[in-house]
Amino acid sequence: MERDDKKFSGGRKYRNDEITVYWKPSSCVHASYCYRELVEVFDPGRRPWIDMTGSTTDNIIDIVNLCPTDALSWKWNNDEKNAEISEDQLNHVKFRRPELMDTNEAAPQETPVSVKIMVDGPIVIKGNLTLSNNGTLKEVQESIISICRCGASDHQPHCDGQHRKIGFIG
Amino acid sequence: MEENKKQKSQALVEITDFGPLKITGNFTVKDLKRDKEDSAGEIWLCRCGRSENKPYCDGSHKK
Ligand code: SF4
Ligand code: FES
Ligand code: FES
Repeated sequence: MERDDKKFSGGRKYRNDEITVYWKPSSCVHASYCYRELVEVFDPGRRPWIDMTGSTTDNIIDIVNLCPTDALSWKWNNDEKNAEISEDQLNHVKFRRPELMDTNEAAPQETPVSVKIMVDGPIVIKGNLTLSNNGTLKEVQESIISICRCGASDHQPHCDGQHRKIGFIG
Repeated sequence: MEENKKQKSQALVEITDFGPLKITGNFTVKDLKRDKEDSAGEIWLCRCGRSENKPYCDGSHKK
């Protein structure tokens, strides 16, 4: 599940694969239902204070529906489900913050990273990934990296063409 | 939509000196030599050139 803590007009939003929760701090009266009920998800002592991976979607919806104000509201990421929401879903944005009904929260494209084992050559990796080189992390976006498979590169971990010189087969 | 267009990282690619390449997450593997595809969530690929089970690491790098 994805944790998202993006700013949007008038507060923040937090999403998992199924729903987005909207947080409008100016409306919060600190009745604190939310963190008493589900501290794994709503914890004011933590940043970000809403952790969408802390519980199931059903639990999160139940707690959001308990908020007595429009400080917390939610909707499905799938708009078809929002269209047929029932009235007992008190804090669905349709009832609390109808202006948010048209925002599209469909999941961003999640294209798998492509890994190719070249014939007698390197591993070629393409996509959005995190590279850890002996523990040092680096985000790599939309670029291609080529990792030596023959063991002979002078520029480890990258392929530098040595595999041809040594006649690597594998 | 709004704000940044940054794409979410889909996979973690880990390199350790003298060890295999570990990949976890959302990825596909195409082995052009053996004409095989794999979409396991976790693999170790040989980087030393000595594995008997290429493209995977079989521990030969330790020998
Ligand atoms: S339940 Fe609503 S009003 Fe109460 S603390 Fe949580 S967000 Fe604020
Ligand atoms: S695979 Fe190209 S240098 Fe090793
Ligand atoms: S890296 Fe483990 S066998 Fe080559």
